[in-house]
Amino acid sequence: MFTMAVASQSVRVKVLFFGRLKEIVGHSEASVELPDGSPIEALFSRYGAQHPELTRFRASLVASHNQEFAPWSTPLHCGDEVAFLPPVSGG
Amino acid sequence: MTNDSPIDLLLLVRDPIDHAALVGHVREAEDGAVVTFDGCVRNHSRGRRTLYLDYEAYEAMALAKIRAISEQIHEKFHIHRVAIAHRLGRLEIGETSVFIAISSEHRPAAFEACRFAIDTLKRTVPIWKKEYFGDGAIWADGEIPPAPLETHAAKPAS
Repeated sequence: MFTMAVASQSVRVKVLFFGRLKEIVGHSEASVELPDGSPIEALFSRYGAQHPELTRFRASLVASHNQEFAPWSTPLHCGDEVAFLPPVSGG
Repeated sequence: MTNDSPIDLLLLVRDPIDHAALVGHVREAEDGAVVTFDGCVRNHSRGRRTLYLDYEAYEAMALAKIRAISEQIHEKFHIHRVAIAHRLGRLEIGETSVFIAISSEHRPAAFEACRFAIDTLKRTVPIWKKEYFGDGAIWADGEIPPAPLETHAAKPAS
């Protein structure tokens, strides 16, 4: 899991799951504590360690940050909202 | 969940979509055309008989993305008004999952804008459908939305 630098401040972010990811994780929403500035990818890795099946889908997922599509390198700060989005199939 | 601007009507709904209300919203005296798209729940998927579908959305983001589509339509096409409604929850065969109505002075713009609207919606709006069959259920194959790959680095001064 995470090794935190002594000086790094930890923050809470909201994580959302949809579709098959929600079924794998078992819930649609969580509040997660992590070091300030952690990238979205690190948050996903944390869930991947808990639910290895998630990692099978990583290549087909896109991340969102505060309701906008975002790079996986986006740093997370206090109160951010993150989601891992499976391929969309509306319409 | 709704996002009404005085011009456009953008909705995520759980009850059946009222086609006439959407058409009525966009149709004004100065329009020469209203083009609509009615997305229906089909009774089969890749050779299997579908029983029903269940749609879910990242609602706040989905509505923001639908709003972005309506803004793009106004920039790209010479159209008048846009109405887009997407339904969520369980939908039976034959029901409307998405309805789009676009008005314009002349028909080409409304035709083009309507095609753009449904194609962009299917690619960029975070909505998912699960297909239920007699012998199980699967999440429909979807499209991977175009997303920024890396944080944009500041451009070096030239």
